Amino acid sequence: MVTSAAGLLVRLVAALCFFQYVQAKTVTYDFNVTWVTANPDGLYDRKVVGINGQWPLPVIEVDKGDQLVVNMHNGLGDKRASIHFHGMFQNGTNEMDGPSMVTQCPVSPGSSITYNFTVNQNGTYWYHCHTDYCYPDGYRQALIVHDKDAYFNDMYDEEYAITMSDWYHEMIEDITFIDKSNPTGAEPIPNAFLFNDTLNSSLSVEPGKTYLLRLINVGAFVAQYFYIEDHTFKIVEIDGVYTDATEASILYISVAQRYSVLVTMKNSTEKNYPIVTVADSQLLDTIPSDLRLNHTNWLEYNKTAAHPQATITVADASDLIPFDDMSLVPHDRMELLPEADLVIDLTVYMENLDNGADYALLNNISYTRPKVPTLFTVMSAGELATNSEVYGDYTHPMVLGHNQVVEIILNNGDGGSHPFHLHGHNFQLINRAPAYGEHFYDYADGDPVAYDPSNHTAFPKYPARRDTFVLPPQGYFVIRFVADNPGVWFFHCHIDWHLQQGLGMTLIEAPLQIQERLTIPQNHYDVCEASGVQSKGNAAGNTVDYLDLSGQNKQVAWLPAGFTAKGIVAMVFSCVSAFLGMAFISVYGASGIKMANKKRKTEKAAAEGSASTDS
Amino acid sequence: MGNNPVFAVTVFFICFRECLETTVVVSVLLAFLKQTLGGGEDQKMYKRLVKQVWLGCGLGLFACLAVGGGMIGAFYSLGTDTFSSTEDIWEGVLGIIASLIITIMGAALLRVSKLQDKWRVKLAKALEHEHNPNETRKGRFKRWMEKYVMFMLPFITVLREGLEAVVYIGGVGLGLPASSFPLAVFCGLLAGVAVGYIIYRGGRETSMQIFLIISTCFLYLVAGGLFSRAVWYFQNNAWNHVIGGDASETGSGPGSYDISQSIWHVNCCNPEVGGGGGWGIFNALLGWTNSATIGSVLAYNFYWICVMIGYGLMLWRERKGPLPYLDPVVHKVVNAKGRAKAFVFRTPWDQPTTAGPAHASGAVMEYGVLQTEKGAVAGPSTAIWQSSV
Repeated sequence: MVTSAAGLLVRLVAALCFFQYVQAKTVTYDFNVTWVTANPDGLYDRKVVGINGQWPLPVIEVDKGDQLVVNMHNGLGDKRASIHFHGMFQNGTNEMDGPSMVTQCPVSPGSSITYNFTVNQNGTYWYHCHTDYCYPDGYRQALIVHDKDAYFNDMYDEEYAITMSDWYHEMIEDITFIDKSNPTGAEPIPNAFLFNDTLNSSLSVEPGKTYLLRLINVGAFVAQYFYIEDHTFKIVEIDGVYTDATEASILYISVAQRYSVLVTMKNSTEKNYPIVTVADSQLLDTIPSDLRLNHTNWLEYNKTAAHPQATITVADASDLIPFDDMSLVPHDRMELLPEADLVIDLTVYMENLDNGADYALLNNISYTRPKVPTLFTVMSAGELATNSEVYGDYTHPMVLGHNQVVEIILNNGDGGSHPFHLHGHNFQLINRAPAYGEHFYDYADGDPVAYDPSNHTAFPKYPARRDTFVLPPQGYFVIRFVADNPGVWFFHCHIDWHLQQGLGMTLIEAPLQIQERLTIPQNHYDVCEASGVQSKGNAAGNTVDYLDLSGQNKQVAWLPAGFTAKGIVAMVFSCVSAFLGMAFISVYGASGIKMANKKRKTEKAAAEGSASTDS
Repeated sequence: MGNNPVFAVTVFFICFRECLETTVVVSVLLAFLKQTLGGGEDQKMYKRLVKQVWLGCGLGLFACLAVGGGMIGAFYSLGTDTFSSTEDIWEGVLGIIASLIITIMGAALLRVSKLQDKWRVKLAKALEHEHNPNETRKGRFKRWMEKYVMFMLPFITVLREGLEAVVYIGGVGLGLPASSFPLAVFCGLLAGVAVGYIIYRGGRETSMQIFLIISTCFLYLVAGGLFSRAVWYFQNNAWNHVIGGDASETGSGPGSYDISQSIWHVNCCNPEVGGGGGWGIFNALLGWTNSATIGSVLAYNFYWICVMIGYGLMLWRERKGPLPYLDPVVHKVVNAKGRAKAFVFRTPWDQPTTAGPAHASGAVMEYGVLQTEKGAVAGPSTAIWQSSV
């Protein structure tokens, strides 16, 4: 009886799935991107990137399996743009990924581009501009993929998507950042922090119900601590990966990370409870007196009841102990990947280069855009596509073999934390030190601690997976993934400032398979033509000899140490003039001796003369 | 200026120079007394006058210490903190002042033998009145002054030079740590007395002059360094404004200097960080910097070129007579300065001199001496030569 019921259920589900598959629909969004004015923090009217005249931007919502088509027209007039669908694997549609000069050309003002891909994933994502600095000007919003089959579907009644973000009053292009006047590379301090692109908002809830909150940090720089007073929650998803429901009370959500949590409401409507977000002030070099780090929004049980401000119990955000995402277990129980076929060992550095500005480097390379988008180089390089040289020296290219197990060891030579994001994949979180918690900043003040393959804490059996992972200050992390998604994938720090400083690298995964499987639509070539970017050739734009990289974009030269030619010349000149000057002094001084002698003689003569007249 | 905590080079030279001048005056007086009265006939008178000289010295020293202490106290109670927000500008300005003072002093040092001439003239003037006491109308005060001229001369000299030293040290040394003063002052005084004594003993003038040449060269190295440092400080101030903080917070590494202005930069040997150690002394003496800017290198070379031009002109005029365009201008300036100075310091002495036509040449001569003393780089000194020859 039971088995037959179960069997029936299975069949029903299968039928439903099939029905859904057949039902998989195409969802089309037409985005006309223009400047609009907005004032989300009530402090300052500013120009923001709007879509169809609106800001906040529309949330993209699709069902798993849908075809998503986004027609974007760049009506900004003065700024190039693109859209990256953050977290989408883009399997077979690498050209739809969105980062300019990696998989596509930037969409110049007046041009249009069509993104068209199948969403075979589920969970919480977001989309944002991925060209120069464009998303902190407001060009970012949530992308939700509903899944009829999520294991927690029957555990909640309603859902809310919540975005958190830092917010600048100045246009990003007007902020001086990579410049000799900022030798420490201090990131610009945001003017405000937003919650669902506003402040002091309420989520109206009903007592006793359970809500799914999809939390997304769509900011450009600052991570947020998140908690709800007197409520705990269960984490069920991180970055699109379902996890076993795990109780937590405080989350640390770096930019680009997502958490889905289930929160069950209390049974009373007496009180409204603060939803607290605390900006990670450790990331800020200075904290202006007028910057509010803590914000309160409310679980609104009762519209008429008081909306109390959160009681902040800690002096510094870093005193909050967040849940460690490494301890989550993925619901699909994917096991730890075997030993890697390819290990990529990287270290983050922040250094001043020859123009006096601060740059970010992975090992000794600061990512510098190629002249041809790397994917277009793959498509036009023929057999040479497997040779990483054709992608240039400063895109930091790394060619991955098809289906290799890849391990990335990322050491942090910098005292700040860095949320690293890999396009096209989620990866297993194998190791990290220091772990989230009270020891997270322990390495920040001493020497950096590098990962030692022969001496590390045990790897988890079922490692958590996600697509954005925080690298601790002067610590390290280790991740693994299978190179089963041919494409050109950007691996970079998601702090937009750091990306502009060059904290990224290009993974070219199975280039020959890319060539086999991919057809870049004509529209994307048109975009290149309109923006005047070559769509053929190696990183230097050379279409004849792919191994000739003369003329490629280069990172700024190293800062010279010690005496250069001009220093030596200056030193020699200074010495020569000093000695010449002293020679003049000596001659003048020596002439004094002669005069003194002469004078003495005349005096003597005079004395003798007077003596003789006396006598 | 290289905040060497132990030895303030500029303070040393100021003390040395002022002390030397005082010693020269005293030695001229003593020599004169010895020459005129030391013969034996009037031992009592001689001893009394020598006593007067030493008493004048002692009281002058005491007075100047008292006044000077008060002034320095006032300087410091103003507090260096008053200036710390603009510390770099302050150090730059002081650097330029110190560099000019040393430059001018250095030129005077080379002609220190002229100091003797100058004081012989003064002494002669002072004694002339004794010879001719009743010729002009004068009050009791003047008679008293003349009676005690052997007291007043050293007293006024010591007081004047001492206060000059205090003012200079107070101004120049305001940016320096107080701990760097005592040793420098002591050494300066000692050296000044030593050299003065050698001059008094009429030591070998040639080797004396060689010593002076060497020490002057040394002085100019310091001054050149100071001048260059001053410009460096101005630029550092501008750079601090650009980066919105104190550049030395970034240590001596990248970001502590403006790359576009940099001529050389070595990540060590920073005289500004941690007291500077040996590099601090190197910096104070020769103007070494681990981070040279276009401005500081140009300033250093410019300084030396000016020195060469100045000395070239002085040499030329000593050999070939007054310079066509410069001299009239300089003479005017010097006259004005002399008048002002006479007004401030020597009213009691100068009034009688200007009264009689016989003393006109003496006045000119005095301005000439004044020129060598204060206007050496501009280089006017022919006046004295022409008038004294």
